[in-house]
Amino acid sequence: MADLLATWVAVFFTLGIYSILYRENPWFRIAESVYLGVAVGYGVAFDLKYIRDQWGGQWGSSGTMMILFAIIMFVGILWYARFNKNTFYLYRWPLAIIVGTGIGMALRTVIFSQFLAQITSQANTPFFVPGDMLSSVNNILIQIMVPSVLLYFWFTGEIRDSAPMKIVEKIARYTMMAGFGSAYGYTVLTRYSLFIGRAQFLLGIPPNPAEAQMAFYVIAFVMLVTMIGWDLTHRSSE
Amino acid sequence: MSLMEKLATLDRRYIYLLAWIFVLFPLLNPLGLPIPISNDARSWKNYIDENVHDGDVIIFAPMYGVSGMPELFPMSISTMKHLLEKDVKIVVVSFWNQGPLVFNALLNQVDPADYGKVYGEDWIRLGYVPGSETAMGSFAADIHATIATDYVEGKALNTFPIMADINSAEDIDLVVSIETGTPGTPEWMRQFNAPFGTQQITGCIGVSVSGMIPYLQSGQIGALMPGLTTSAEYEILLGKPGLAVAGVDAVSTSHILVILLVILGNIAYFATGGSKK
Repeated sequence: MADLLATWVAVFFTLGIYSILYRENPWFRIAESVYLGVAVGYGVAFDLKYIRDQWGGQWGSSGTMMILFAIIMFVGILWYARFNKNTFYLYRWPLAIIVGTGIGMALRTVIFSQFLAQITSQANTPFFVPGDMLSSVNNILIQIMVPSVLLYFWFTGEIRDSAPMKIVEKIARYTMMAGFGSAYGYTVLTRYSLFIGRAQFLLGIPPNPAEAQMAFYVIAFVMLVTMIGWDLTHRSSE
Repeated sequence: MSLMEKLATLDRRYIYLLAWIFVLFPLLNPLGLPIPISNDARSWKNYIDENVHDGDVIIFAPMYGVSGMPELFPMSISTMKHLLEKDVKIVVVSFWNQGPLVFNALLNQVDPADYGKVYGEDWIRLGYVPGSETAMGSFAADIHATIATDYVEGKALNTFPIMADINSAEDIDLVVSIETGTPGTPEWMRQFNAPFGTQQITGCIGVSVSGMIPYLQSGQIGALMPGLTTSAEYEILLGKPGLAVAGVDAVSTSHILVILLVILGNIAYFATGGSKK
């Protein structure tokens, strides 16, 4: 019974979210608000669970640990200071700590993982791959296009306006347009994949629960009738 | 108003309706369109077959939430099945708060016990670690200091045999990250690959593919599983067709619709003198 109820609730909220495709409506508002509330609540609960499970039994192990725990909890609570105008400034302290440690952790190795490794890889890309025409063409394009795009964002100096740079800029523009096109294509793939996954659920395709299909037909009918009915009655009254 | 003008100003809701039809129809009536196997799927399978050796320690990281499940869940299931067939130790951890929820769903489909794997000896769940990249750095440096207890039983990590020799990223042979965004591969690269040389393979949503390919070409990640279609190809390679294969017809028909709409939109645009307006 609980599984059946869960399935109907999941179908209701899935269709509630998709109902925005028709227009703004109360079904969507309900689904959107509940989804956001659940997502935030879930996040907070899991953070607290981590503190309970992983710190439990440790914070009282020594005086130093207790002091450290008290400081950390105090700094954590300061996040909520942003909800009051008078205490808003206090929220900057935890923010500064998070941003500072985050940047510090990233900068430590970013030069190796995202600069040197990429530059080395680019330098080691051979122009010609014996016996593999496609790879050779691909590599030649990479060797032309990557430096062109890098030069495109070189904004200083008189050379910027020289004739060869105009050619480089054109190559760079086409390269970036190809990149954006590829990214857009993959974005469409993702959006449809997400939709297909939900559609598989709505249709009860295994391993999704078969009861979802009936729930889909019933709830979709109710939502469409209420939305279209509302539009028709209000249009006629106008 | 001419036909072309009508097309150029078509109510977008008709397009949404068409999208629903083009997705639902092939799901209800499978077309059985051919699924050619791409190099990405082959590379992913070959990487696990050839580079994962007996006794290796693998981090399996579902780095996504329920919203990413439609695209990433099929590849998570297939990869987990593939790994469980091998004599490896698997540590499941996530730096996304919905990671444990996703893995719960995965366990409904795949039971490690069916592969002879014993919890605490062959695999373990460490749950979710909040703190994004900072937490990943801490985890890489000292796992036991970052996580004191496991996710399932709540027991101290050092009581599990699997964790006896796993202390930091130095003891990890491979990271399998299935992800939708940040934290993800760049963070793994910065906290695991660059300082410890830990190898990685990444499964990602289509949106992220363009950003992942440079890591693949530089050899920083060993294989890339981009999106649902490649998941379907991987399922076929493993001989275990699942959710991804069931959805590929709909991927094909929906893309045909997009291409048709792009062509129609352009025809309507130029026929109505859109470029001169």
